[in-house]
Amino acid sequence: MKLSTKLTLFITGSKLAIVGLFILLLPFLIRQIASNYTNFSLRNQQKKVLQNINKKGIDYYFEGDNSYGSYTMLKDEYIALETVAQTLKLDTIRDTKRIVEQDTIAYRVLSFTFQKNKKNYLLEIGKTTASINLYNDALQRFALYVLIILIALSIIIDLIFTRQLIKPLGQIIKLRLTNSRFPFKKKHGHINTSTQDFKYLDHSLISLMDQINEAFEKEREFTANASHEFMTPISILQNKMENLLTEESASEAVQEHVVDMMKTLERLKKISRSLLLISRIENEQFSKQEEIEPQTLFNEMVEEIGHRLEEKNIQIDIELSHNKRLSHINHDLLFQLFYNLINNAIKFNKENGSIQISDHLEKGYYSILVSDSGQGIKAEDIPHVFDRFKKTGHAENAGYGLGLAIVKSIANYLNLKVQVNSILGEGASFKVIFEIEQRISKSIT
Amino acid sequence: MKVLIIEDEKTLAFEMEKFLKKAFFLCDLAHSFKQGFNKLELNQYDYVLIDLGLPDGDGFELLSKAKKSNPDAAYIILTARGKLEDRVAGLDMGADDYLAKPFFLPELQSRMQAIARRKFKVAEELIPLGNFSIDLQKRFVFFEEEQIELSRKEFDLLSYLLLHKNRVLTRMQLSEHIWGNFVDDDYDSNYIDAHIKNIRKKLNGYASTEWLETVRGVGYRIKK
Repeated sequence: MKLSTKLTLFITGSKLAIVGLFILLLPFLIRQIASNYTNFSLRNQQKKVLQNINKKGIDYYFEGDNSYGSYTMLKDEYIALETVAQTLKLDTIRDTKRIVEQDTIAYRVLSFTFQKNKKNYLLEIGKTTASINLYNDALQRFALYVLIILIALSIIIDLIFTRQLIKPLGQIIKLRLTNSRFPFKKKHGHINTSTQDFKYLDHSLISLMDQINEAFEKEREFTANASHEFMTPISILQNKMENLLTEESASEAVQEHVVDMMKTLERLKKISRSLLLISRIENEQFSKQEEIEPQTLFNEMVEEIGHRLEEKNIQIDIELSHNKRLSHINHDLLFQLFYNLINNAIKFNKENGSIQISDHLEKGYYSILVSDSGQGIKAEDIPHVFDRFKKTGHAENAGYGLGLAIVKSIANYLNLKVQVNSILGEGASFKVIFEIEQRISKSIT
Repeated sequence: MKVLIIEDEKTLAFEMEKFLKKAFFLCDLAHSFKQGFNKLELNQYDYVLIDLGLPDGDGFELLSKAKKSNPDAAYIILTARGKLEDRVAGLDMGADDYLAKPFFLPELQSRMQAIARRKFKVAEELIPLGNFSIDLQKRFVFFEEEQIELSRKEFDLLSYLLLHKNRVLTRMQLSEHIWGNFVDDDYDSNYIDAHIKNIRKKLNGYASTEWLETVRGVGYRIKK
């Protein structure tokens, strides 16, 4: 899951949880507030009444009677004052029922006794409980709406902000990691961000990439220089030996020795020539503007390699049912790639074996499969078959371990994929995958 | 035929000289840009072999200067670089051929002969070979009036041996010539033998091929 998604989920989730809790508590809270407010207003009224009595005397209410009572029009509230026994002491607020003109109504009643002129008086102020909770629903609803709007707003603000905040991270991932193909040739400026951590990450990645590039560059240079430097001494030795062969005085035995030396030199030459080829590919010294039909390519190949097939009596079947025209490719390199694959298919094959070459169209990709009936590759060797100087298989017919390294270099350069499958003792198959939109201009019928 | 070899690796230059002398070329050596330039000013050569990696100047520059003083010479560029651009640049500047180091000396000689045929418009007659005759231009082998079918590789092999007649050629020299600078992962000489066997088989039906000798342990030779 992406960081931004996680943050979004967390923010939304936590807010919703808090809001949910609040909504659950809301009726209780509102009731609480309403009842507290009622108590408060009852006390206020009590204060007013006592002030009036203090100012104007108790008769202001009694008007000669020994008790006083009054209702509002709808019996929402009432006030009562009466003399009570001296021993009664009350100061309470409680819910209770009162009969008012034959109606039993639930009231919240403040009862308070006080002394005045050596008499004990009881003051009752009541409010119907119905009126207390009158606005609860409306309040609740209003609070809910306001809350929802606030939550939505705050989530939106949070999302925008976090998105802005972690945008540089996305840019770093896209620029430096997903869209970068080794070697990292494109020079990007630094990501624009004020977040220290992202700055640090970006700078570290850039410097890492530079280091990798540098190391790769050094290796590339070394390969190129070394393979070039080898060529001159090899030339000298080779030409010396050739001249030695033509000496009249050289006996047959000497000649044989010289030829043996030449064979060894030939090995050296092939190794450095292979390295040179790899370095030329790495230095992009081949054009990629050619078009090829696989069928033509394999026809050339069979002519080139026919004698080797005959030597081991190997049957080669080329069945290209699609035979797509490949474009943006280099003929010589592609030839070299398949040549190396077929060369291996012969080298590691058994006498009277077979090689199958077929092409497939699947999932928008065109691929060519080279499979043989040879000795196959050990499962643990498969990941390393493309490594330079890696020798697998039997020593006596292992090459110099550069054939597949060249295949890999060419595949990288031409943006092809090569997949290996093998069952030990039954053969190996190499699948070369082309990207269809890019490389295939039209079908040939 | 006079050849100027401009190559800073003296040892290599000497070996080339030694070989070309046996093929009756007259050789001059130069080991630097300066020496090469001076020799070109003073003499007229039939062939100039220029190494691109000279220590004191650019081989391409020398080539363009040389074309002025020796316009009729044939130029072959030698280089360890072997870059495609170099090859194209060299040929564009009027070089006749291009050889990447390390090259086999018979190959050098063949290229020189090929240039001579092109440049001096030598219309090759039919070259007699035992009871056969070979037309190198049209790539035919005849027995009396009858044309014998050889594959491309077989013909290449036969004509190469013929061009270097009386010289033993190793399987490597032969395969290098047929394959060019193609990278083959492992040394494999059998196919030269296979081709030779096929050539003999095809020709023996008409007449003896005693002139095509196997030199044990070394290679093959056409004796005339």
